[in-house]
Amino acid sequence: MLIRSLLATGLLCGLLASPVASALAAGDPVLVIGVPPETLDPYNTNTTLTTAVTKSFYEGLFEFDKDLKVRNVLAESYEVTPDGLTYTFKLREGVKFHDGTAFDANAVKANLERVLNPENRLARYNQFNRVKTVEVVSPFVVRITLKEPFGPFINSLAHASAAMISPAALQKWGKDIAFHPVGTGPFIFVEWKQTDSVKGARFADYWQAGLPKVDAITWKPVPENGTRAAMLQTGEADFAFPLPYEQAKSLGENKKLKVIAQDSIIERYVSMNMLQKPFDDLRVRQAINYAINKEALAKVAFSGYASPAKGIVPAGVLYAHPMNAWPYDPAKARQLLKEAGYANGFETTLWSAYTTSTAQKAIQFVQQQLAQVGIKVQTQALEPGQRVEWVQTAPDPKTARVRMYYAGWSSSTGEADWALRPLFATEAWPPKLNNTAYYSNPEVDALLAKALVSTKDEERAELYAKAQELIYKDAPWAPLVIEQNLYATSSRLSGVVVMPDGNIDSRQVAVAP
Amino acid sequence: MTQTALTATKAVAAIPTGVRTPWSEFWRKFRRQHVAVVALAFVVLLVAVAILAPWIAPYDAETFFDYDRINEGPSLAHWLGVDPLGRDILSRILVGGRISLATGFLSVAIGGLIGTVLGLLAGYYEGWWDRLVMRLSDVLFAFPGILLALGVVAILGSSLVNVVVAVSVFSVPAFARLVRGNTLVLKRATYVEAARSIGASDRTILTRHILPGTVSSIVVYFTMRLGTSIITAASLSFLGMGAQPPTPEWGAMLNDARADMVSSPHVAIFPSLAIFLTVLAFNLLGDGLRDALDPKLDRA
Amino acid sequence: MLTFFLKRLLGLLPTLAIVAVLVFLFVHMLPGDPARLAAGQDADQQTVELVRAELGLDRSLPEQFGRYFLNMARGDAGLSIRTRRPVATEIGERFLPTLLLTLTSMAWAVAFGLVIGIVSAVYRNEWPDRLGMTLAVSGISFPAFALGMLLMQIFSVGLGWLPTVGAGSWQHYILPSLTLGAAVAAVMARFTRASFVEVLGEDFVRTARAKGLKERVVIAKHCLRNALIPVVTMMGLQFGFLLGGSIVVEAVFNWPGVGRLLVDAVNQRDYPVIQALVLMFSLEFILINLVVDLLYGLINPTIRYK
Repeated sequence: MLIRSLLATGLLCGLLASPVASALAAGDPVLVIGVPPETLDPYNTNTTLTTAVTKSFYEGLFEFDKDLKVRNVLAESYEVTPDGLTYTFKLREGVKFHDGTAFDANAVKANLERVLNPENRLARYNQFNRVKTVEVVSPFVVRITLKEPFGPFINSLAHASAAMISPAALQKWGKDIAFHPVGTGPFIFVEWKQTDSVKGARFADYWQAGLPKVDAITWKPVPENGTRAAMLQTGEADFAFPLPYEQAKSLGENKKLKVIAQDSIIERYVSMNMLQKPFDDLRVRQAINYAINKEALAKVAFSGYASPAKGIVPAGVLYAHPMNAWPYDPAKARQLLKEAGYANGFETTLWSAYTTSTAQKAIQFVQQQLAQVGIKVQTQALEPGQRVEWVQTAPDPKTARVRMYYAGWSSSTGEADWALRPLFATEAWPPKLNNTAYYSNPEVDALLAKALVSTKDEERAELYAKAQELIYKDAPWAPLVIEQNLYATSSRLSGVVVMPDGNIDSRQVAVAP
Repeated sequence: MTQTALTATKAVAAIPTGVRTPWSEFWRKFRRQHVAVVALAFVVLLVAVAILAPWIAPYDAETFFDYDRINEGPSLAHWLGVDPLGRDILSRILVGGRISLATGFLSVAIGGLIGTVLGLLAGYYEGWWDRLVMRLSDVLFAFPGILLALGVVAILGSSLVNVVVAVSVFSVPAFARLVRGNTLVLKRATYVEAARSIGASDRTILTRHILPGTVSSIVVYFTMRLGTSIITAASLSFLGMGAQPPTPEWGAMLNDARADMVSSPHVAIFPSLAIFLTVLAFNLLGDGLRDALDPKLDRA
Repeated sequence: MLTFFLKRLLGLLPTLAIVAVLVFLFVHMLPGDPARLAAGQDADQQTVELVRAELGLDRSLPEQFGRYFLNMARGDAGLSIRTRRPVATEIGERFLPTLLLTLTSMAWAVAFGLVIGIVSAVYRNEWPDRLGMTLAVSGISFPAFALGMLLMQIFSVGLGWLPTVGAGSWQHYILPSLTLGAAVAAVMARFTRASFVEVLGEDFVRTARAKGLKERVVIAKHCLRNALIPVVTMMGLQFGFLLGGSIVVEAVFNWPGVGRLLVDAVNQRDYPVIQALVLMFSLEFILINLVVDLLYGLINPTIRYK
């Protein structure tokens, strides 16, 4: 029975997969990305590139611009009460969903209540769980009340996952909305062939005049790095992200391509398990910071497309507090190790959260550097299941096997809270969140908690700056580099930009004839 | 030629000249195949290099690096060039031969031995035993390699020994099927029927009459499998099994070269070449061995 | 023979049942929490628990097993954890591309391997043999990843003759099947040669030659049939391997096949997909080897089936 249905669907799909579609798409842009979207429901994914695709069909009340500044989209303005608990939004009028229904306050209410209902079990639940009520004041005014003040609230509404889905479509499709996106975005969903591509067609009633500038858009996931680079060269792709750093130079020499590299908000670091010897000793952690040449790392592992990290939070993130990068000073590192009682170094392990070639290079580089000061490191790149089991869900902090851990982080809300709390708060120790250094400083905890409920900009900036300085001094991490987003477009394509958080803005996409 | 023949015979078995033991007979026939002798010499050289590598390698294979020469092609200072992490490729190939040869050879040998015994018994006795062995090999085959490897890591932990275990397990069913197929045919051959009719035991028939008939298949598969297993061992290191960077190992070197091979091909070509020459030598050697072991060829 | 065939088909069921049990235990033993993986790294504990409940992973292991086994018996493979689509659909839409790629790869590899193998055997230890051997050995010592990338650089990027990714037209099949078939052709060539060398020394071949038959006739009529047993065995094995979908080739050419599905499923610990795939692979292996066993009988009629 299983077999028969397998064969039947197989045959059917084979017959349907005719080459007609590709002939039709000639002229319309093909955007190639590295990760296949696992869903088209923006509320049910934690993958940035998945939301890059859903943004073709969906918009939220706000969005991030290319500098991660919040910009109004479906909201025209908002007001917040001084206690930071009640937000009132004035919505844009005259906006239509793809199914012809009008966007209004009821749509906002329906969407937020959907994600807030634990029954729906959506992966973005925790982004919104501080919302208490959503009330429709008038057709285009909506009021949201929070359980407690929450500084980053507008930022979390600007995140691509906070999209406005047509309530009529939600009614119609239920859970299957993931396969039938209906939003207010510039493109109407056409088809999603899981093994090939996601296609959208121009939405004629789009509210922004003159947009979209193309008749159709195709997103094609191609996981292999080198293959994406090849597709750009053959003209099968108009845009590809990410690209292998190693090939940037040769791609740049191709006249038919534009290669672009921009600073991201992705920081690469090595965390050190502070509950364990010898990392419980500040001098050891400092020594490791001194022992790694970040300039050389950027050159070796990232082919130069990265820069030494200046502090804990990358500059593009709101409330980042830039500090000096740790200087490279192996002599000082050896001195500190000696003071800490490790004159002959020690042995430890360094795990990587990824198995990509860049990560493999980075951990081998760190290993080479630490060997210079006498620290013998055994490296291992963890496969996703191992990472989850050994690092993220280690049940007891005391017996957690993680020692040094190479990973990366990008604040999905574009501001400091999500760049600090999940990584440094005591409550964020695994298995809850990602404090893999098992760092705990009550002062930092207090600052983060206070900043979270504050609604005053200056106050938050000050609190976060203080927290970052404290963390920097305690050195639970060896911050390494801020990586660059490397992407390329064909010379005929314009209007597609990779944002610092690794998301893609493709609303303005256009092709020269 | 005759002189070397004499000394060689003496050296090998210290037996009086003129007496034809099976061993001297074999050696006499093997020596006539010059290509195979060259291959043997190469394999001996490989083993010697593998043992002596740390002393003959121009640089330290793991700790030496030069960040100013990343991905540089062959030069006087670095005969085979520099890899993406600034290490000397020649040194890494020399030192890496040790691990690659050991894991490759051992794992295929173990897998081949177990598979051959199972296949012989299954083909000879048929019946329920055959069905059991073949179904088991189906099950083993059906388990995708990465799944099996992850399982081995989960149960046994990660070490070089476990790479040998995992790759051996991959090899067992193929050898079993291969030998079983040959056995099914050979046991019906007239000379086997004859042996049985004069009352030879199953054991004698299997080891004396059937096994020799399957040797050529086994040798060929063995020598081909060697290359595959070196490359397989490398993909296992990607799953966190076995040799972890910066331990040099030919397959792992190829894996490490993935990102850079388009822009600097030499980082992939030289490890590939090492595997190619090794596998070629083993194949030529295998053919030579087979020919020397074949009683029929002497007449031709 | 028909009863043999039917008996073997019936014998399938217990084997599949055993595989089903084994694979269930196996995947649950692997490190890694599927709920955590599905929720992503931004998720907190509470969200992970929501996802876990959604996936039915909060139930006890025996209960999960019971459900899985009953559903499997009814032919329902469940929903993928990763995509929330029916597993049958996920596998179904990828099965055909993998099958077609396997068939094209096998076709050229076997044809090529047989020719090289026979020529090598006939000219044993002469230059065509050495050339054949060199070709064969290079076929397995260059990793598929490198070969695929090289072919793509030459024929797609450099010359612009062939497309890079996808499976839409016959041109799409050329590069992946060349890459995938290289190792098979190599093994087939070596096997055919070994087998032929063996047979060429047999008494009946001398007799045939002595009768004054043309060499071509001797090889085609007398040798081929007798040399085929190990070759056919190897063919069956390789075929099975390829049907599992080549992970590397499918990745390089973005082939919409089961190999990539397997990697994604293993990475995300997508239990239902892994379980269904392994069941399908074992079914394929059993069927192919059944065919191989039947071929033994056709090639050598003294092998009978009980």
